[in-house]
Amino acid sequence: MLLSKQNLMPLLNSLASDVDVFVPTTIDGVKKFARLADGVEPDFDMINTTMPPKDLLFPQTQKMYHFDVDKNGSYHIHEYDESREQIVFGIRPCDMRSIVCLDEVFLTKGFVDEFYANAREKLLTVSIGCTQAAETCFCTSMGVDPIYAPNADVMLQDTGDAYKVTAQTPKGEAAVSAWSEFLSDGDAEPVNCDVTLKVSMEGVVDKLEGMYDSPIWENLSIKCLNCGTCTYVCPTCHCFDISQENRKKDGVRFRCWDSCMFSEYTAMAGGHNPRPEKLERERNRFMHKLNFFERRYGMSLCVGCGRCVEKCPVALDITRLIDDIGSYEVAPASAE
Amino acid sequence: MSAQEIIRARAKELLESGEIATFIGWEAGRFTNQTTPLVITDAADAGKLVFNEYCANTLAKYVTDVLARGKVGLVVRGCDSRAIVRLINDKVIKREDVYLVGVGCPGMKDRKTDEPLKKCTECRHNNPLVFDEMAGENAEKAVPEDRFAEVKEVEAMTAAERTRYFESIYAKCIRCYACRDVCPCCTCRECFVDQRRENWVGKQNNVAENRFYGLTRVMHIGDRCIECGECERVCPMDLPLMKLNRKVIQDMNDLFGEFESGLVISAEPSVLTTYELTDREEFM
Amino acid sequence: MAIEISHGCAKGERPLIPQVCRVTEITQETPDVKSFRLVTLDGKKPFDCEPGQLGMFGLLSYGECMFVVSAQSDEWVQFTVKKVGLVTEQLHNLSVGDEVSLRGPYGNWWPTESCRGKDMLFIAGGIGLPPVRSFLLYCLEHREDYGRIDLVYSGSKYDDLVFKEQLFDIWPNEPDMHVHVSLYHEDPKHPEWKGDIGYTAPYLETLDLGPEDGNRVAVICGGPSLSRTCRESLLKAGFDEGNILTTLEMRMKCGVGKCGRCNMGGHFICLDGPIFSLAEIATMHSDV
Repeated sequence: MLLSKQNLMPLLNSLASDVDVFVPTTIDGVKKFARLADGVEPDFDMINTTMPPKDLLFPQTQKMYHFDVDKNGSYHIHEYDESREQIVFGIRPCDMRSIVCLDEVFLTKGFVDEFYANAREKLLTVSIGCTQAAETCFCTSMGVDPIYAPNADVMLQDTGDAYKVTAQTPKGEAAVSAWSEFLSDGDAEPVNCDVTLKVSMEGVVDKLEGMYDSPIWENLSIKCLNCGTCTYVCPTCHCFDISQENRKKDGVRFRCWDSCMFSEYTAMAGGHNPRPEKLERERNRFMHKLNFFERRYGMSLCVGCGRCVEKCPVALDITRLIDDIGSYEVAPASAE
Repeated sequence: MSAQEIIRARAKELLESGEIATFIGWEAGRFTNQTTPLVITDAADAGKLVFNEYCANTLAKYVTDVLARGKVGLVVRGCDSRAIVRLINDKVIKREDVYLVGVGCPGMKDRKTDEPLKKCTECRHNNPLVFDEMAGENAEKAVPEDRFAEVKEVEAMTAAERTRYFESIYAKCIRCYACRDVCPCCTCRECFVDQRRENWVGKQNNVAENRFYGLTRVMHIGDRCIECGECERVCPMDLPLMKLNRKVIQDMNDLFGEFESGLVISAEPSVLTTYELTDREEFM
Repeated sequence: MAIEISHGCAKGERPLIPQVCRVTEITQETPDVKSFRLVTLDGKKPFDCEPGQLGMFGLLSYGECMFVVSAQSDEWVQFTVKKVGLVTEQLHNLSVGDEVSLRGPYGNWWPTESCRGKDMLFIAGGIGLPPVRSFLLYCLEHREDYGRIDLVYSGSKYDDLVFKEQLFDIWPNEPDMHVHVSLYHEDPKHPEWKGDIGYTAPYLETLDLGPEDGNRVAVICGGPSLSRTCRESLLKAGFDEGNILTTLEMRMKCGVGKCGRCNMGGHFICLDGPIFSLAEIATMHSDV
């Protein structure tokens, strides 16, 4: 099936009349996914948004429940479910991979996070393959195909004048069958995308096992400012805090994005902090991306989108770290 | 010899002689014309140091991270030297803690557009104000005519426009705190936003909390801001932070007389920490 | 033979939503430690749990903190709380009948099964006793399943010792149970103290409690320095790393391995722990 580019906006407008459709766009100078509405111009040629689409599933601030007291002074808890049908249209394959990671975190290992699960179930993902890469894009090195996202409900691939449309899940098939008036039969070869920045992940995961006390972390972390930029623009970073605001006995408990770069993140009430300095925090962040997550879930927590490389105030660059790990000589274990 | 060659040679000598324990400069990044801060302790690494017109980062804030190892050498331009003066005047470091290799700064460029960085076009002191030696000559750079041009844009707005303007700014803020963490004036051991016990700022990301953070920070660095523009440069959401900083500076100029922070090492307290009976107080 | 710890932890729906519970009994253990018994609003036990598991106990208006369930019956669960921060300070202001929030249980539990038949050596300092006590109470309830029981417990001052009645009056009279208590320093407020003075690890070494050919299991809970020094003492005495158990603590928010902060390498203390053997910890990248 093909979707001619002329039919793209009519399709989007038709979809947006029923549900919230999120598209890549620029709002007040910030590139992000925003709800298609009057004055919002989708930009499907944008290589990548500055803010990742994770907030559609995991908002920066998410109310979980509010509480109040009845006339007998007894507390009651009222849960929020603000999830609703949403379509994310134009999500890139790297960001689709990030949703695989988030699904693992929030939906597996014994506990299902209901807030994430509700939003996830109601999200239709329409991915558009990339035709060009930024200098900071390195998705192919992280096992992501820039023109194909296997877990998208619907995959659109640029063939020049039209997108090749493939429904990849039952949810996607249902969606595409409803789009028939905008589609035409046919097939065409997708345009390729040349990703020039390449790093080698070969052996990196295993090598990191023996590098916990390596001087590499000191050299890396020394330039870090310990701001949260990398974690907030990262499509896979998912750490959160739980906090509350109240007026007397009525209030709301919410969760919000938190960052492992902040000292307060692990500071304990008694004053002890197991990750007191930026060395421990940086090491934990990069080990999590490149080793811990791989060990726990069998995949890398870095999808190669390049946002942190682009936005880090001090140009602290995960691709250089991966290179450095690759060329690092692990000291041979001393003979016992 | 170019400034870069002098910097490399002097870093090597200073580290080898043991006069300093650490040297801070820049190295080349992965991408064309990209630089990134470099902190070295081994004289053999001095060859990695670069100095070119794309050295965007200021360096002074790193001094406190490495001071425990001993005296710190670093390259200073106008902005870096003012940051060092700020740290000394705020009693965070002592003058003898640092060895300053000055370098004339023609103003830095954005590596992608090759245009001058906004912070550099606004800079009024491009050459080092404090240094132990100079790597080459001072550089020529045009000084902006009106220090407060941007502030006037905001002041020209109606109250309603201004409210909308500030709301649009703080709707974008993601509270990554990069503006705080890069700032040479932000040297509190524990920032008020991290004082969870007091909970000055709620952790929800919304306009009210973000604005409270942003404006409190502006006021807190009010009379100490050295106008290096780093907060604005590093902001991933491109918030116009220097507009806010300069609004406060302009008001202080108006109230207490023209001044600029971080120009001279001085034990004198800063404007907002002194009180004189002759101070204007119609704002009270 | 190393002890096997179960890491198949609790499962549950709506893991982040607390239930409202009521405080039915408060015990002042020390000047800054109180124990709270909790039941649901209709008077039932809030949840069933194994010894060593965690509960997120708090106040809706102030926040919640993770604690090991320090004791339980068929009717209630108990938490023992030291006043160290904002939330615990507020918990200390509670009265009997007040409503609190509680969710859980989370995490794994003490390996009560694979320790069966072994001699038990419990080592704790200060507020480290409540987590250890959950296991100790289990052993005493199932007395015939376990061998000799030793408790080595220290506090910096006499007043900081928790559960004094059990420590000095009840437990020493349990069959084949030996209670050893020391204070870190001479306590000027309690010149009558006749017990030992010294830090836990050197005190432990004087007691000469060996590994008994792998038939004794050591259980440690205390601050970072107590844990480190006692660990070293036990290893020096010949204990196998697999027979030294501990319960770990880090800041926790979700309790279900999702919010991120309590990780030790790829493991989460709230979900895979809090209970690990030293042999397991040795394989992890730990910042704790």
